[in-house]
Amino acid sequence: MRAALILATKDLKIELRSKEVVSSMFLFSLLIVIAFRFAFAEAVDSGALSLEDLAASSLWICFSFATIVGMHTSFAKEKDRETLEGLMLCPVDRSALFLGKALSNLVLVFIVDLLSILFFGLFFAFDYDGHAVEVVGVALVGTVTLVLVGTLVAAISVNARAREVLLPILLIPLIAFSVIIPCVTATRNAIAGELTESVRDIVSIAGFALIFGAVGYLSFDYVLEG
Amino acid sequence: MRTERVGKYLIAVSAILVLLTTYLAIFYVPLPATSVRSANDILSSLDGNSITVVGFIVDLKVTPPPGLDASERINFTLADFSDYQRYRGAISDGVLEEGWWTVRPLDVLAFTGGWTGPYLGGILSNGTNVSVTGVVTAGAVGPNSAATGFHIGVSGSRNVDIGTSAAEFSIMTAPVAQKIFYFHMPSAWICYLAFFVTLLSSVFYLKTRNPKYDRWAFSAAELGVLFATLAILTGPIWAKQEWGVYWRWQDTKLTTTFVLWLVYIGYLMLRASMQEPGARARVAAVYGIVGFVTVPMSLLSSRIAPLLRSGHPQVIATSSGGLSPESGLTVGIAVVAFTVLFITMLIKRVEVAESEEELEELKREVGGEA
Repeated sequence: MRAALILATKDLKIELRSKEVVSSMFLFSLLIVIAFRFAFAEAVDSGALSLEDLAASSLWICFSFATIVGMHTSFAKEKDRETLEGLMLCPVDRSALFLGKALSNLVLVFIVDLLSILFFGLFFAFDYDGHAVEVVGVALVGTVTLVLVGTLVAAISVNARAREVLLPILLIPLIAFSVIIPCVTATRNAIAGELTESVRDIVSIAGFALIFGAVGYLSFDYVLEG
Repeated sequence: MRTERVGKYLIAVSAILVLLTTYLAIFYVPLPATSVRSANDILSSLDGNSITVVGFIVDLKVTPPPGLDASERINFTLADFSDYQRYRGAISDGVLEEGWWTVRPLDVLAFTGGWTGPYLGGILSNGTNVSVTGVVTAGAVGPNSAATGFHIGVSGSRNVDIGTSAAEFSIMTAPVAQKIFYFHMPSAWICYLAFFVTLLSSVFYLKTRNPKYDRWAFSAAELGVLFATLAILTGPIWAKQEWGVYWRWQDTKLTTTFVLWLVYIGYLMLRASMQEPGARARVAAVYGIVGFVTVPMSLLSSRIAPLLRSGHPQVIATSSGGLSPESGLTVGIAVVAFTVLFITMLIKRVEVAESEEELEELKREVGGEA
């Protein structure tokens, strides 16, 4: 556990100095928000699409794609700078590497979540009907699951040839039912102030976090080897 | 040498079984008279009974064509045409006498006709095949005129009449496309089985590091994708006739199966983009284990339908009577046939994988670039 914390601190320290990942993730997610603003301009202006629905769905598209960008860098950078071998030589459990990477990714993605929520609100002049705190809460729960499965799949795809393309191909089917659908429902309910209706969604997201976390924790040994 | 002979027998047996399934499906099994009630059955069924009405829309009384607005809600009532006209007339005249007409409010459990959910989606039109299943919540059976057809009330003044005569309800059978079921269901079952084989072989590979298990995992996944593709392609042939559309994104069974297919396509792509055999086997085994999460989701999705909205028929052990003896026999033979076929193909595919590896080995020995 201590090793995981040290690894996470190392990653975050690098990030604090370069601000490379968060800025690219954030820009990417900002662009998605803007793309949505343009694509749905007419629908939103005419009232055919409510801002509540647009917020719930576009925010989770932002989070998912930002995660893909962030996860990719998380291992690809280590691989390209040949520091992955160094990490693997550390006399600690590989499972600790998984937890450390997941932890640092969680912090980074969650920062991007917060910025996206803020900027979506600013761009659309939308105050989440006064339930921004609940929306952030759902984002945190969903992001935990997203990051656990994302870290594992990023480590799986890092050795492949077409890793940039492969990561979303491997990740999106896995998060479709475990994260995106329940999170969008929960976010919509949160904005409507009916988060209690989404208890089942939250439990299911947390359940998937447990499954993916357990599989990642147990199998990371095999993913990073040789 | 020995395995090859076994393979030959297996190929012959599976070919015969698949042909037998085809024969039985086409010539032996009658089309089920599923969920069809005669008009009189519907009118005389008791409160609280679940009834299903199947028919064609013969008259869609919609003022602004085409179809119905997405916002319009169906208030499900079943009524005899002629009585319903009297009922509406009585409402507009303000002389509503209770117990005089036949209007039966339904607590709707399922509605098919290219549409799910509480709102109409503008898909209904004259000639659409619809089926409504619901529990009769109140029986207002009045003087029962000869039933001429049925009527579903839609909010406002727009109404849908289904069927034209009592006879149309009593002779209704499932569409011919229902026969595809004897190939659809076994394909789906085999894809679950294949992915389970992938899961087990992946776990064994990680435990023992014997490349044999990696070949099994890969071969099973490839065949699983093949059978999942078959299941996904045969489903819409039936759905088009039964539901009126090829695909429904609202249906959890369909979407979870599609996601399952994507996961294992990803598995194959992951393998294809890695060259070093050891690393490929390790990493693919882990993804084969993670990806299996989607199998129970797809397998159970129509079983927990109330939770997740699925209009996909449940096949095994449902409370609603289930299969006729003929169709039970055919399904049984179909499942055995596909299982034998799968085992045969799996053994052959593993042999091919072994030969491929041998070839690689030989190339390396000769000294050329592999």
